[in-house]
Amino acid sequence: MQPTSSMKEEFLKKWQMGLQIYRPLIDNTSVSERRKAIKLSADVAMASLRKGTTCWSRALIQKTATEDNFLVRQMLSGIKAETLINKKLPKVMCHRKIVRRSKMILRRRQSRSAIEEVAAKARKLVKKKTQGLRNVVPGGEFMSNDVLLIQETLDYIVSLQTQVNVMRSIVDAAEAGSERTAYYLGKLKFAIEDG
Amino acid sequence: MDLTGEFRARSDGGERCREATGLESLHLGDELRQLPPDNVGGFTALLELPPTQAVNLLRFTDSPSSSSQAAAVTGIAPPPLHSYGTLTFPSNSLLMERAARFSTEHQQNGNVSGTSSVPSNSSVKTEPAETDSSQAVNNRSGKRKDSDKKAKSSTKKKKKNKSSEENENLPYVHVRARRGQATDSHSLAERARREKINARMKLLQELVPGCDKIQGTALVLDEIINHVQSLQRQVEMLSMRLASVNPRVDFNLDTILASENGSLMDGSFNGTAMQVAWPHQVTETEQSYHHRQLQQPQQWPFDGLNQRAWGKEEDQDHGQ
Repeated sequence: MQPTSSMKEEFLKKWQMGLQIYRPLIDNTSVSERRKAIKLSADVAMASLRKGTTCWSRALIQKTATEDNFLVRQMLSGIKAETLINKKLPKVMCHRKIVRRSKMILRRRQSRSAIEEVAAKARKLVKKKTQGLRNVVPGGEFMSNDVLLIQETLDYIVSLQTQVNVMRSIVDAAEAGSERTAYYLGKLKFAIEDG
Repeated sequence: MDLTGEFRARSDGGERCREATGLESLHLGDELRQLPPDNVGGFTALLELPPTQAVNLLRFTDSPSSSSQAAAVTGIAPPPLHSYGTLTFPSNSLLMERAARFSTEHQQNGNVSGTSSVPSNSSVKTEPAETDSSQAVNNRSGKRKDSDKKAKSSTKKKKKNKSSEENENLPYVHVRARRGQATDSHSLAERARREKINARMKLLQELVPGCDKIQGTALVLDEIINHVQSLQRQVEMLSMRLASVNPRVDFNLDTILASENGSLMDGSFNGTAMQVAWPHQVTETEQSYHHRQLQQPQQWPFDGLNQRAWGKEEDQDHGQ
């Protein structure tokens, strides 16, 4: 499933809404502040497209809420903001160490064969990769089973794609505009200097 | 019938009856294969036969205790043919004949003709076996592929094969697991879960470019992780680029886009913002991009024409 134009439009509207919240704050003149503002509003816009149905969207909103609570509250409708800004239980992390230790103990007692070792190594590799995926996807640590993880990844990738597409188009337009202004300003200056 | 003539009630009643039945029970044990150890005598074992057959047997083997027990078990009144004084226990041969007949009948039913608890249990057990077999039929088509894959199994899985085959050797268990398949519900649930995961991995492979040709879960996951990371980095780069563009553009962008989204279909917006040159171009290119991305492509050449026209105008303006 590729990003649809309706998704792009919705994202754009929400992103603008977020950016307008920043507009009265004229003191974010430094580049880094502006970048942060842009990125946060874009993230919240992307997450709010899903309206709290997916795990990654909730986790992303929580993450941005830690950086700018006000923005999140303004961007989302009031009801959701209260429910979404809650603490979650990172229960999966605790269990994994215990499980790993017990598995190591068990492994010493087992006898192995060649085929078994290969299969076990493959399984270990896959588990490492899924752990890596959990680190990348927001809220991955809270997804208890692999099925959920893969579903969330699918949705997350599609949403990221829309975000990137819309942002790229705007950036290209803005840069083209600025280039054009730079070009024309340069031409003007040249003309003035010449003439 | 001949048999009725032979029956004579015993004066002793119960105990002798049981002794005789004890003797007969040994013979019965030969004929009927299984005899549970916990039964007191073969007679009670006889009683645990299916009630109709027990009644048939007992009608001809009438003794007071037997008749009373039969009545208690089956709820059928013993035939009033015999008086208590004249009833005797039938001979061994008769009982053996009966036992043989019952054993053959049991075999026809497809069950082991066990006396004791097997008949009653078998009727109970056929029900779950049948449901499992139906499940097995449903799963068999899915499991066929897995069983082929599992033919190249490790030793651990071969042990599971053996245990599953042993389960199949029991007489009243229908075939529900193929070679390489464990029979418990845990593995069935695992199998369903694995199929779900595989289906979703396929969707992911289609989404991420370049994942179709990769084989193996680990490499596909690697690609997915790389793709997600690259998308995230792109978002950061784009936000940096946007921030580094003139700040005023940012806010003009907002207003322009806000107003523009209100009038997305209007081509007349192109004509209105003529006054100031510079935000104008932003408007203008904005619109062109938006029309390209979000709307019908029909307006794009129109915008392109306008763009060129304005560009020329401004060129002339600035040039002079």
